[in-house]
Amino acid sequence: MILYTPMAHSDIFPVEMDSYSNLESVSYKGRTVYAERMPDGSYQIQQLLSSDPNDFLNAEFSPGRILS
Amino acid sequence: MSNNSEQKEEQQQDNQPNSSALVERIQQLGQSNIPQAPDSNIHVLSIIGQVEGHLQLPPQNKTTKYEHLLPQLIAIEQNPKIEGLIILLNTVGGDVEAGLALSEMIASISKPTVSIVLGGGHSIGVPIAVATKHSFIVPTATMTIHPIRLTGLVIGVPQTFEYLDKMQDRVIQFVVEHSNIKEEKFKDLMFAKGNLTRDIGTNVIGKDAVAYGLIDEVGGVKEAMNKLNEFIGPKVSPESGVVQ
Repeated sequence: MILYTPMAHSDIFPVEMDSYSNLESVSYKGRTVYAERMPDGSYQIQQLLSSDPNDFLNAEFSPGRILS
Repeated sequence: MSNNSEQKEEQQQDNQPNSSALVERIQQLGQSNIPQAPDSNIHVLSIIGQVEGHLQLPPQNKTTKYEHLLPQLIAIEQNPKIEGLIILLNTVGGDVEAGLALSEMIASISKPTVSIVLGGGHSIGVPIAVATKHSFIVPTATMTIHPIRLTGLVIGVPQTFEYLDKMQDRVIQFVVEHSNIKEEKFKDLMFAKGNLTRDIGTNVIGKDAVAYGLIDEVGGVKEAMNKLNEFIGPKVSPESGVVQ
């Protein structure tokens, strides 16, 4: 499909609002992480928000990890 | 060969929990082992994607949320173990007031700060980049300087225009005060015609940004770390002070 229009992409393909609701910012072990709520109620880390570069080396906060 | 593979299987069964954790890690990160390091005295803030302001952007946007960064900046200022801060910028710009808030916070931190513009530091990325004590830009990075724009419904056009004009002045003032660029030059770049296809403004690349005085130096991680360590000064070990 090729679109040739001055309209914004978001005007043509409106964003589904339910994709907002799954992503939550939660506090885990003192760090704020963005986590997606899974259907079974657990959280999967999507993004770590920290200024400490070592937190990004810590496997506990790596994206994709399931929080129990 | 069969002997070999049997041995391998045994080994795999032996460290079953280990290997499944490894597989999980490979699936998550695409790598098998993460090196551990001692506590870092330098903290990193990355300004990525769009600088998000009062409106939450749709989830497919990569955003930097100032409500997350402001408390981190306070924590960095308060924590005595943190001696320096590096700002990594790869942003397309975003909310002016959120960007100015971040810039003022970074500029008013008492600890040494250094920024690196990687990829792009466009629009409101410019004041954030110059807010640090020393700024770097990698040779391939670009910074787009253009007038402030507004999308959406406007109520009261003349008032809004005046408000936008003042907002633009605030951005210009901040950049001029925190970098070596002259106000005239910055305005020239901002209102230049013919450089951007659909807009007025200028796309400033690596070395040019340094030549205009907008950014202090061309360089990457190595240069930035050296500069930050220079600002921090020689390490004073706690033992050296006490003689028993």
